[in-house]
Amino acid sequence: MNFISPSRPKPGIAHSIFSCLNKDSTRGVVIQAATLGLVLAVLLYLFSNSAQNLDRLGLSFGFDFLQTTAGFDISWSLIAYDPSMSYWRVFLVGIVNTLFLSFCVIVFGTLIGTIVGILRLSHNPLVSQLARCYVEVVRNVPLLIQIIFWFTTVFSALPPPRSGYGFAGLIFLNNRGFYMPSAVSDMSGWLIAAVSLILLGTLWFLLRSIRRQQRQNGSVSRSYRIAFALWGLVLCGMALIVGSSLRWSVPALQGFNIEGGMFLPSAFGAAFIAMTVYRSAAIAETVRAGMESISKGQHEAAATIGFSRFQTLRLILIPQAVRAIIPPLANSWLVATKDSSLAVAIGFPELVSVFMQTSVNQTGRAIEIISMVMGFYVVVSLIISYLLNKYNAHVQIKAR
Amino acid sequence: MSEQKLKHFVPTPPRLPATNEQNLLRRIQKRCFNSIGNSLLTISVLVLIYYVAKSFLDWAVFNAVWNAATRRECMDISPDGACWAGVIDWFNGLIYGRYPDEEQWRVNSGVIMALLWLLPLMTRRIAYRNSILISWITLYPFLGAYMFLGGTFGQDVGIIHMIFTSLAAGYFILLYLNWMLCAAGQPSLPERLTPLTSKLFRRGQHMNGFLLVWAVLSILCGGVLAQVHLEPVPVDRWGGLFLTLIIASFAITMSIPVGILLALGRRSKLPVIHWLSMMLIELVRAVPLITVLFMAVTLLPIFLPSGAEPDKLSQVLFAVCLFAGAYMAENIRGGLQAIPDGQYEAAQTLGLGYWLTMGLIILPQAMRLMIPNIMTSFISMLKDTTLVSIIGLFDIMLMARNIANDKNWIGLHTEPLALISILFFVMCYGMSQYSLNLEKRLKAHRS
Repeated sequence: MNFISPSRPKPGIAHSIFSCLNKDSTRGVVIQAATLGLVLAVLLYLFSNSAQNLDRLGLSFGFDFLQTTAGFDISWSLIAYDPSMSYWRVFLVGIVNTLFLSFCVIVFGTLIGTIVGILRLSHNPLVSQLARCYVEVVRNVPLLIQIIFWFTTVFSALPPPRSGYGFAGLIFLNNRGFYMPSAVSDMSGWLIAAVSLILLGTLWFLLRSIRRQQRQNGSVSRSYRIAFALWGLVLCGMALIVGSSLRWSVPALQGFNIEGGMFLPSAFGAAFIAMTVYRSAAIAETVRAGMESISKGQHEAAATIGFSRFQTLRLILIPQAVRAIIPPLANSWLVATKDSSLAVAIGFPELVSVFMQTSVNQTGRAIEIISMVMGFYVVVSLIISYLLNKYNAHVQIKAR
Repeated sequence: MSEQKLKHFVPTPPRLPATNEQNLLRRIQKRCFNSIGNSLLTISVLVLIYYVAKSFLDWAVFNAVWNAATRRECMDISPDGACWAGVIDWFNGLIYGRYPDEEQWRVNSGVIMALLWLLPLMTRRIAYRNSILISWITLYPFLGAYMFLGGTFGQDVGIIHMIFTSLAAGYFILLYLNWMLCAAGQPSLPERLTPLTSKLFRRGQHMNGFLLVWAVLSILCGGVLAQVHLEPVPVDRWGGLFLTLIIASFAITMSIPVGILLALGRRSKLPVIHWLSMMLIELVRAVPLITVLFMAVTLLPIFLPSGAEPDKLSQVLFAVCLFAGAYMAENIRGGLQAIPDGQYEAAQTLGLGYWLTMGLIILPQAMRLMIPNIMTSFISMLKDTTLVSIIGLFDIMLMARNIANDKNWIGLHTEPLALISILFFVMCYGMSQYSLNLEKRLKAHRS
């Protein structure tokens, strides 16, 4: 505080420095410089230590190890992999497995969660209380315990392949995992994917322009119908060509193991079921909160115009609730992607397991590998939040 | 045409007034059996509940074995039931990990002391509430660490640890003296001490007397503690529920100061501080906890000077503190954003500086607003502590899994997992119900 009085002594140099520091702008610069200096000093200290330690261990920093042969096997992968491939491939295998697991969890978790969330709002007290019990039990037990529970007590307790469960000679379930028939095509997978993408793209474009025209003049011109028919013809043609090149690979018992078909390991099954159940409880709460955020007047208005309960749900409640549900739902999806890293505990070969554990142990390149894994998760979370913001802007109430 | 119709408009007869349906049977009928679909739903739910409850109770209670020496014996007695004998056999391990049997009283008394320290907060008539909480966060850890780690003063216990342990012990005694005085309706301890010390100090500042008595008591406690020899128990023998609770309570207590600093940094107008905090928060929140744990375990030994290799618990505590702090920062930021500008302006008008404004005006309000979110974070931190088992810390999760490796109980997976699931459920559900209760109470206060 400054008490200005005539008898105040003339400020000395030290005093003028302090009064200068008291100015907000100067102080800001000093504080920032000090923080930056401190952070840089700490980083420098850490890096000089790490340089020394790496020297001592005979390692150098760099991403050249990605080209070298990994030399270890991965128990299950969606994309082709064998031990002679490079660490770069290991990274890709980890990413694909992680994304596959999280995708399955997201799809089924959202489905079950929505159903449970709506059941939770049921007028029947038994149903709503049962849904409540499900949600409370599932979300108050740590996910890791649930994953290990499913793995050790359900999937590992299944009988071995020779005496495992089979259904119509097509689907098999045993302590190794789950087998089902899969389609194998002689054509290159890339070609099929590219053609289907083009087909989907044209369909989307067609539908959009039809809808735009319908909005403008209330009817759809004939040229669009012809285009639509053409699209259908191309689709049928593609289906014929692909279908003729398709063969079904059916799993069958050979010796002590089941060969052929598509295989999902039991670690995947356990992680998938545990995570889906856990995620569905969180999503159920999101859905319930979204539904409850709609004012009672909307229910009453729907009842006034004679909507049945299902119609009210479909036409009045859900379209409005979506606005409140989507942001936390997308957040839940992001958490599901991050939670998929817990599958490392039961040996499912996802990114953390194959790259952060095995590869670090094999190469010792901890700094590079950890920054790559963290970079992957950062990119995924940025993409999801970007898409969410786009969608959010799309569904918000637009003020006209 | 339509006008014609409107002329002959016949209103529907008014509905009968709602009768007061207090009859239980009527209510059940109306809510559970009002239509065929609903009746079918009710019946199928009842059947489902019956089968789930019956099979669970059969397994867990009616066919269970409580007394056996090995799992084989369990299987002989009742092959379909739970084998609780193994869990009972390992119960001590589940709670204390590999802590030596004869030293376990120290864990118990340390935990009880932590609870006793907070107990006075439950009473309404107690002065210096905040100081109790702050002392619990700053002083108790030293006393607790001394109890859990053990060692002799001056030999295994470092000089700073010694001083703070004595201070904590002294404070603990003062705390209870003060509480007793307050409970008896007397003036608080510092005020009581004023006449005693007014002769020593020119001005009768009661804090001086309090500090003096505290110092004397601490020296006395230090003297007593120096005579006691507690068998040292290294950190790698800690485990079980005890370790889980240590990690969880560390995460919970440290997340608040770290979170406050990061949140203030993120809201700061100084660009360097803003960007640094934002980058840290976003980076930590974008990655799973398990990668942060792996990072702490593999990178800390590389980044620290060779020779100074921290033990696994310190590495984990570092990771957990960073992770919990980043999540808490976002909660607190939400609270800070909800405070109207008028509060800042009012504080400025009073001539308060930045830290006083934040500490006295803004943060208390922001924290109170965010209590539900903060409690949710606490619950998820408690659940997330199970992850430390992945990097090989013997918390309750890994102890439970290890029972299946014991040669007597080989393959006994389900029962320990069921037990710790129930334990976590009780803790987490209790916390969430408490937070709902707290939220209601605070709302009642505000309106």
